[in-house]
Amino acid sequence: MADYVFQKEKIEELLGGMAKNYEVHAPLLNAGIVRFGKVEEGGPALAKLDDYSNSSVPPKELLFPQTETLFRYRLGTGGIEPKVPDAGAKVAVFGIRPCDAQAFAIVDKLFGWDYPDPYFQNRRKSTVLIGLACSSPCSTCFCTSLGGGPTNDEYLDVAMYDLGNEIYLKTVTEKGDELCKSISDLLEEASPSHLEACQNQSKEAASKIRRSIDTNGIPEKLPALYDNPFWEQFSDRCLGCGICTYLCPTCHCFDIQDEVEVFDGRRARMWDTCMFEEYTRHASGHNPRPTRKERTRNRVSHKYSYFPTNFGVIACVGCGRCIKYCPVNIDIIDILEKSIAVEVKEAG
Amino acid sequence: MSDEFEPTIIAFLCNWCSYAGADLAGTSRIHYPPNVKIIRVMCSGRVNPLFLMNALQQGADGVLISGCHPGDCHYLEGNYYSRRRFVLMHRLLEHIGVHPNRVHMSWVSASEGEKFKEVVSEVRDKVKEIGPMNQFGRRQINW
Amino acid sequence: MVDQGELRQKAKEVISREDVRRLIGWKRGTYGFEAAPAVIKDPSEADELVFDPTCVQNPASFVTLEEKPPLPRGVEPDLRKVGVFAKGCDSRALIQQMVEQAYERDHIVVIGIPCRGVIDHRKAEKLFGDVTPDLVEISGDKVVIEIGGEKREVAREDVLMAKCLRCRYPNPLISDVLVGGEVEKFADDDFSDVDEFEKKSPAEKWEFWEKEFSKCIRCYSCRNVCPMCYCPECVVTRLKPQWTRRSVDLSENTSYHIERSWHLAGRCIECMECERVCPMDIPIMTLNRKLTRDVKELFSYEPGTDVEASPLLTSYNPQDPEEYIM
Repeated sequence: MADYVFQKEKIEELLGGMAKNYEVHAPLLNAGIVRFGKVEEGGPALAKLDDYSNSSVPPKELLFPQTETLFRYRLGTGGIEPKVPDAGAKVAVFGIRPCDAQAFAIVDKLFGWDYPDPYFQNRRKSTVLIGLACSSPCSTCFCTSLGGGPTNDEYLDVAMYDLGNEIYLKTVTEKGDELCKSISDLLEEASPSHLEACQNQSKEAASKIRRSIDTNGIPEKLPALYDNPFWEQFSDRCLGCGICTYLCPTCHCFDIQDEVEVFDGRRARMWDTCMFEEYTRHASGHNPRPTRKERTRNRVSHKYSYFPTNFGVIACVGCGRCIKYCPVNIDIIDILEKSIAVEVKEAG
Repeated sequence: MSDEFEPTIIAFLCNWCSYAGADLAGTSRIHYPPNVKIIRVMCSGRVNPLFLMNALQQGADGVLISGCHPGDCHYLEGNYYSRRRFVLMHRLLEHIGVHPNRVHMSWVSASEGEKFKEVVSEVRDKVKEIGPMNQFGRRQINW
Repeated sequence: MVDQGELRQKAKEVISREDVRRLIGWKRGTYGFEAAPAVIKDPSEADELVFDPTCVQNPASFVTLEEKPPLPRGVEPDLRKVGVFAKGCDSRALIQQMVEQAYERDHIVVIGIPCRGVIDHRKAEKLFGDVTPDLVEISGDKVVIEIGGEKREVAREDVLMAKCLRCRYPNPLISDVLVGGEVEKFADDDFSDVDEFEKKSPAEKWEFWEKEFSKCIRCYSCRNVCPMCYCPECVVTRLKPQWTRRSVDLSENTSYHIERSWHLAGRCIECMECERVCPMDIPIMTLNRKLTRDVKELFSYEPGTDVEASPLLTSYNPQDPEEYIM
């Protein structure tokens, strides 16, 4: 695999070069919010790399959009028109953080499980991830506790390090190699000093992570707390909104609805969240998770117990968004720490 | 057929006054613009501002709400509630940038066939002047 | 500065009462510039409670947020009172809830706290970065913030919520117990922000809202946090009839935001929680403020100031304005 550098001020040029062969998505500054979107002329401006730690909405919305048409139909045409994305398309995601890339590897397991989901998988196949290592993580980040790290390149195709005036670029997979070759005229050779600088940055960034959680024993402990009043101390102040789940890079629940007009319509899927009351409400009106206590329990237990039981990996990457954006300070690290401390009486 | 823009106007008319007024206009052979699509409701107090939003989302270029004159409501006070509601709703829509001439309200009694014609003509002219509704219609976005 | 000892003592007295089952206040958060809402059920927990300018959340929201699932046969519902801390703005929310008969006056025990302003975490993070302060207090015209042992003084408008800079009710309008002494009114509201926005043309206004509404991810945090939004089932999530579709696009987002602010016409008490919680930084209060101003101007009505008042839209005056009616 190869490594390169390019001048930071030439970032737009670089994206322009990429855009010749790829559909480029990057963090854009849209009315005060950093969010991934397609780089287009006349569209929102590129977010400055130094100005934000991570996008508000995780880039999961690129592979799993909040609202996605599954198929359309029109009266009289006979049959439906599926809208499955093309697996051969070339999409580049520029500036994704290592944690968000790790989340794709987790969600892959779910969307490739009993029923392979062509919508997600085709997009996943066509996407090249050009990651950007974190040099100044947030106070809510805890990626190092979940197998990741601010400069982890394991789940990326190309890893980038911001070295001030220059950006160091390292290809990790063949997909990434191919992309870098297509823009090689815009890149320069890297020197050993660059490598050294980025190794120093890795060490420094990891030391800046202020929060951590020891996940040992948590997947086994949480089911024992199923009926425990433990959850009430958090759910009592829960608003039941969708911030923590919508902004989670690994949350993947969706609802499917038909939108019908007079002569045509579509079936679409939209993000759903276990924090909403109607998520588990049955047609009869009965709700097996009647209060926010059960819903809070489900969110945490699904990430830290049910998902690891089914797929062998914790469905959390420690990006800290649910902590940072929660308006009532429901802090998943706090919940997990307290869950370990709770003593559970043995049945019988 | 001319290519000139003709607005679609959804009119919510109360059963007891305005709908009867429209009926009178019809039986008296008074010509009024055919742009108006009438939805009969029992009282102007029945009209939920959601109806208005939904009409604008589904392709209406203008909306008219019409009921009995104040004091004449079949249910005594329905139009008073409606009046408060739509004065505020009108201002709220204006605040997000919906042209104030898209939403209208009128009092038309059962004997005012002529007034119904005048109201509808005025609404049509005003909506026609501002052109088609192209702000938050359902079809044009991400279908 | 509210004395924490007095606050905890009074909280302890309230929660120890036979007829009080829970008490809603604030405790230290785990990080950042905001405290966490606290719901305590036992006098022993009262020592967690705090009050300082980081206590932004409106406890009135949690009075109506409490869910009452169906009880097993033979179990009697617990109908004892709820204790609730209230700043000036929070007390208006409680009053408005009672005006709407969400509950009776003797359902709650209000512990009033005169307040001189609370922190806007967005402003504070811009100034100080992503840190956790050791101490935040208001002294005179300044806000004193201590971070890592270093004290810094900043002007009120640089860190306080916009609502506090135009606060007309710093003292709780109702209270059964008062913590600390009443404070003097220090600000006034002239709605100049609404006037400023109204100078735009319809096209400019829409250009602004188009951008803002298209950011919305419809997490419904603005709805859920609102002390006035307590319907058992919200019209935007109803499926039959489905007025607003679940798909997230400009059309449905606009519909949602109009419905949300419309439902607050004559009810919004300007606690600004909706705007504070929004993860997408949508200036939701710009819609609410417009309605508040118009309600005041057209009907001389101010929600949440009089327990005896009737709700604006379920009452009328034959002489109401008819400004645009033909």
